[in-house]
Amino acid sequence: MPELPEVSIQKLSKQFDGVEVLRDVSLEVQRGEVVSILGSSGSGKSTLLRCVNWLEQPDGGEIRIAGDRIGVKADGKAMNNRDLAKVRSQLGMVFQSFNLWPHLNVLHNVTEALIHVKGMKKAEAETLADELLAKVGMAEKRSNYPYTLSGGQKQRVAIARALAMQPRVMLFDEPTSALDPELVGEVLAVIRDLSQEGYTMIIVTHEMEFARNVSDQVVFLEKGKIIEKSAPEEFFVHPKTERVRQFLELDEKV
Amino acid sequence: MDSTAWSMLLNGAWVTLWISGVSIALGVSLGLIIALIRSAKIPFVHQVLGLYISIARATPLVTLVLFIFLSAPTLGINMDRSIAGILALTLNTTAFNAEIWRSAFNNFSNDQREAALAVGMTPGVYFRRIMLPQIVITSLPSLVNEMSFLIKGSPAIAVIGIVDLTRVTNRISAVTYEPLPPILAAGALYMVIIAALVWFQRVAECKANRLAM
Repeated sequence: MPELPEVSIQKLSKQFDGVEVLRDVSLEVQRGEVVSILGSSGSGKSTLLRCVNWLEQPDGGEIRIAGDRIGVKADGKAMNNRDLAKVRSQLGMVFQSFNLWPHLNVLHNVTEALIHVKGMKKAEAETLADELLAKVGMAEKRSNYPYTLSGGQKQRVAIARALAMQPRVMLFDEPTSALDPELVGEVLAVIRDLSQEGYTMIIVTHEMEFARNVSDQVVFLEKGKIIEKSAPEEFFVHPKTERVRQFLELDEKV
Repeated sequence: MDSTAWSMLLNGAWVTLWISGVSIALGVSLGLIIALIRSAKIPFVHQVLGLYISIARATPLVTLVLFIFLSAPTLGINMDRSIAGILALTLNTTAFNAEIWRSAFNNFSNDQREAALAVGMTPGVYFRRIMLPQIVITSLPSLVNEMSFLIKGSPAIAVIGIVDLTRVTNRISAVTYEPLPPILAAGALYMVIIAALVWFQRVAECKANRLAM
């Protein structure tokens, strides 16, 4: 029996006030695969990612995480908060604006869900958190509060916080778009390390070079539809559609 | 003023303090509960609570105190004066506090909520661990403001015969025929109480600055 894909998106559609933001989107992500989602602003990239962990509820289609449907129970009814939380804890999400909790220091941002969702002992959670903070290069700042950190540092803590739950899949929603140019590198380096460790990841990004280097699959969204889905070499060297060619050329010119 | 007058005055201050204190404690927590229930927007319940808040906010404290104390016997309830006073103050301050909490809920960053849900927190855990600790601190200036309004409005309970810090000055001057000293002393005591509250608020505000992102 072939292994189930870690994430399977089938015929997903979503509207905001009658405007279609996703149309018939299907995508499969295998274990260990890194998929980059590209497209211009408003193409539906972030909405697609946010549907995967049900922060947005799609209007049609289905999403399965390792075979289990998210948002909808086997009997077709909507999942309750508890079930939803359980599925979501398998998906690590990293946001554009970091979304750290300002009342907790770096260490406690990472341990919070370990203790209060997973029910881990405090000491055990802190050991794990320290390991992860070391991995993202933030061990020294463990006692700092978020407001003392730079954007790049905040984002690295946010990545450690998501990793702590040992998710099957990591979702990155434009992780470097809110950063000063000189801080982008440190965050991309962490994500690159994760891809080498075999994490399954879906990354919405505007960083073309980065997408080209880390991805196994590149997906291009245009007006809510996937218009191109291919391996990075093919995508960046021989794009199939005029739209993607144009998009890549624009990127080069800047 | 002799020592008897002073001890009467301090007794009055104690009555003001404990009745206001109980009402504040009840009002802050009930206000939070009402704001929570309202945020669930349950039909009917939502409207009923909205109506309560509108009425309670529009009713003068003295009117409310009298209404509760006088209507209790007609309902066959034999109500103690202090209970009636606490009930009136609580009904009043709960409504204002519910609005303070509601506005704190509405202004709370949705980003933090999404981050909490994304790591697998249920809305309950999110509320307790992420939202509540922060809105307690950010709402404290408004809550303390409302507390000081309540204390300053508490002489209203004198209309049903409770001898509080204001009422007691009457009693003292009825004996001494000098109305000015006791009322000045009472004023000073009110200032001490409010100053303690304001100091408490300052400390909280220092903490709140840390949350400014």
